[in-house]
Amino acid sequence: MDKDEKMLHMLMDFDPTIRFAAIVDKTGTIEIYSQRDGLKNLVPFDETKQTLKRALHAWDENTRVKSFIGNGKYSIASYKKIKRITVPLGSGRMLFCTLNNEPMKKGIFSNKKSYGHLADMGKILSIVDFIKEQK
Amino acid sequence: MARYEKVLNMLMDFDENIRLAIISDTDGKILVSSKRDSVNLQVPIAETKRALKRESDDWIDRCKSADRVPLGEPLYHITSFDKSKRITLPIDAFHMLFISIDNTPMKNTKKKSYGRMVEMGKLLSIVDFVNTFE
Repeated sequence: MDKDEKMLHMLMDFDPTIRFAAIVDKTGTIEIYSQRDGLKNLVPFDETKQTLKRALHAWDENTRVKSFIGNGKYSIASYKKIKRITVPLGSGRMLFCTLNNEPMKKGIFSNKKSYGHLADMGKILSIVDFIKEQK
Repeated sequence: MARYEKVLNMLMDFDENIRLAIISDTDGKILVSSKRDSVNLQVPIAETKRALKRESDDWIDRCKSADRVPLGEPLYHITSFDKSKRITLPIDAFHMLFISIDNTPMKNTKKKSYGRMVEMGKLLSIVDFVNTFE
């Protein structure tokens, strides 16, 4: 198993809300991906490709502010039903994950509006760093 | 415009890590802004304006995408950097809220820090609150 494959496996094992994880190259081409068994694609592949291109362009632009606020770590685009996460991996490559964001069932004592699940970015980034450090 | 000023004031009062908050239109033009007195801008305003324009275009794409496929209502976008987090969200059909938040690690962090957590639920509830009552 190579490093990229290992990263996707670890992410899928760590977080059951991850529906889809992929690593893309600098042109937006998916090099490797993993999809959770039993889940249907919410978004057609063509639509995902557009999202990937937009995200790559944004990371390219973000390098303009590196000298002021440091390196880019991750981005999260949150919708009511899903979250899309991107993490730059270096050399123009990028990790892309789709997470379930459907609200938990309402508790008996809570009628508050839900703004979705919390994405444990610390854990996700620590998996990425762990794999990067492997020889 | 008073509604937008109210949102910015409430956000600045709620979270002291917010350095800059802006309401812009779909072209990325700044309509109202609020900067915390005690801080200097980390990023030159020209770069922030460029980011506003790109984020506005991206939000138009995201909203169109949400109309085509069942993603649900678009809520927010966060980009996290070593020293800062940038948050954008559509505040209504034609305007975007941009927030820049301090993301430098706390002093007492022993492990590697991946930045501070942002209470998005609270930020979104402030926006919803002002939108509901105005």
